Amino acid sequence: MNVVTRKLIAKELYVNRWFVGGGAISAVVSVLIAATSKTGFNIGALTWLTTIIATGVMLGIYGIMNERKEHSLQFVLSLPLSVGDYVLAKMLGLMACFLIVWLAGSAAAMTLVFGMQAVPDGVGPYVVLLCVFMLANFAVVLCGALHAQSEALTSAVVIITNMGVSIFMFTIGPLPGISQSMWGPTPAWNSTFWTVLGCELAVLVVAFTLPFFLAARRRDFL
Amino acid sequence: MTNHKHLSMRGVRKNYRFFTLDDLTLELEPGQVMGFVGPNGAGKSTTLRLAIGLIAPDAGEIRVLGHDIPKNQAAAKRDVGFVSAEMRLFPHATLGWHMDFMKSIYPEWDGGYAATLVKRFNLRTEQNARSLSLGEHVKATLLLALARRPKLLILDEPTTGLDPVARHEVISEFMDVLRDESRSILFSSHNTVDVERISDTIAFIDRGRIVECSNKEDFLDRWRRIQVQLPPGTALPDLPNIVHRQIDGHFVTLTTNQFSEGLQALIGPHVTGIQRMNLEEIFVANVMHHREARGQ
Repeated sequence: MNVVTRKLIAKELYVNRWFVGGGAISAVVSVLIAATSKTGFNIGALTWLTTIIATGVMLGIYGIMNERKEHSLQFVLSLPLSVGDYVLAKMLGLMACFLIVWLAGSAAAMTLVFGMQAVPDGVGPYVVLLCVFMLANFAVVLCGALHAQSEALTSAVVIITNMGVSIFMFTIGPLPGISQSMWGPTPAWNSTFWTVLGCELAVLVVAFTLPFFLAARRRDFL
Repeated sequence: MTNHKHLSMRGVRKNYRFFTLDDLTLELEPGQVMGFVGPNGAGKSTTLRLAIGLIAPDAGEIRVLGHDIPKNQAAAKRDVGFVSAEMRLFPHATLGWHMDFMKSIYPEWDGGYAATLVKRFNLRTEQNARSLSLGEHVKATLLLALARRPKLLILDEPTTGLDPVARHEVISEFMDVLRDESRSILFSSHNTVDVERISDTIAFIDRGRIVECSNKEDFLDRWRRIQVQLPPGTALPDLPNIVHRQIDGHFVTLTTNQFSEGLQALIGPHVTGIQRMNLEEIFVANVMHHREARGQ
């Protein structure tokens, strides 16, 4: 990795610092709210989900779409780097920003599930799957934003990935392998869990690597 | 092709749905300033973006400082400063942060010169890029390009949005850059006053084609407007190199792109005046002449 790519990754962390810091705090506070009571759990879970989804959306919109729309991309591409270097810097830089919020939120959620008596450990696999889904979902947002040439297409990617969270919750939660043990005292790391996790990881890997094969080889990046 | 040329574009073509840049050939030597003049939509920005590797040609060859573009653009851009009027900095970072950012990337960054330019351009390093006016933004991006001391400056409409004083400041900096004869500038503009002031070579582009590329003095020497008053019943002889003639009764105004005493002698004693043309007049006459010749 060359010096320009490293500097651009650091740039992403710098320009998004308040946003990322706020997101990480919001994710942890949401979990703390969720630990207070049953109503608090519902409110906390909602704000936790919203925080992580919003972080991904905002990073995609501000980090990629607005950079193109507001012509900062011309400044970046005037630096001594190739389109491939730019794609690498964007993927790693924005993923690093998201990971800060995601790790804070996921660690807090896991602590809540496995550390609090009131929350059954059986929900653990579902929370793990939800967390990994959020990460894969963000990789899809990044991938879509880097390939989309228009604001409309980027917005469509954002809307579809947002809908994906609801679809995930409504389809994965009711799966027998997940729902049967969800409210039990012990987590069931069964084949259903591993299958869903495998699918999520596959999506994550494909979405994360696709830009290096397609966007990075685009002849016209502006 | 020799490797010492700062820029070489040969037979370059770029197709878009409603526009084609065709058979573009340009060469820029070290120490040369080329003004790239054309109307809106002529292909100026497309040409400069091709030169910096932001877009790839469909045909032809581009070399910048000896590097193939776009293949080796990263190496070439180490010594190229590119600024366009529409380029923007990162909105949530200050000018000072941008200066540090450039310094960390370019070992040639001249901090003293950058500080001088901050004062000369009346900028504030603690100001966020988001709050810069259009003129300040252009000056800030120029500062970041100039303080790197690049061998080649590629500037797309660099004086757009600047007031006359700011334009004067910026043009003066370009002239300062050219004191070092190993550096060169390619800049596009539709402001022919700026181009005439600093360029030594001028390329006219219209509708995706280079209309003419020549030495500035050569343009100014060759082009003339000749006023003729014909007595009744007298006609003008067949004259070579007349690109435009405007007839108003007995008064005829001829525009030539190859003025010579021989041409004046051919017209005879009816010449009432011969005027030099400025670059804008030459540009308009040149473009209109080529459009007519191409039947457009």
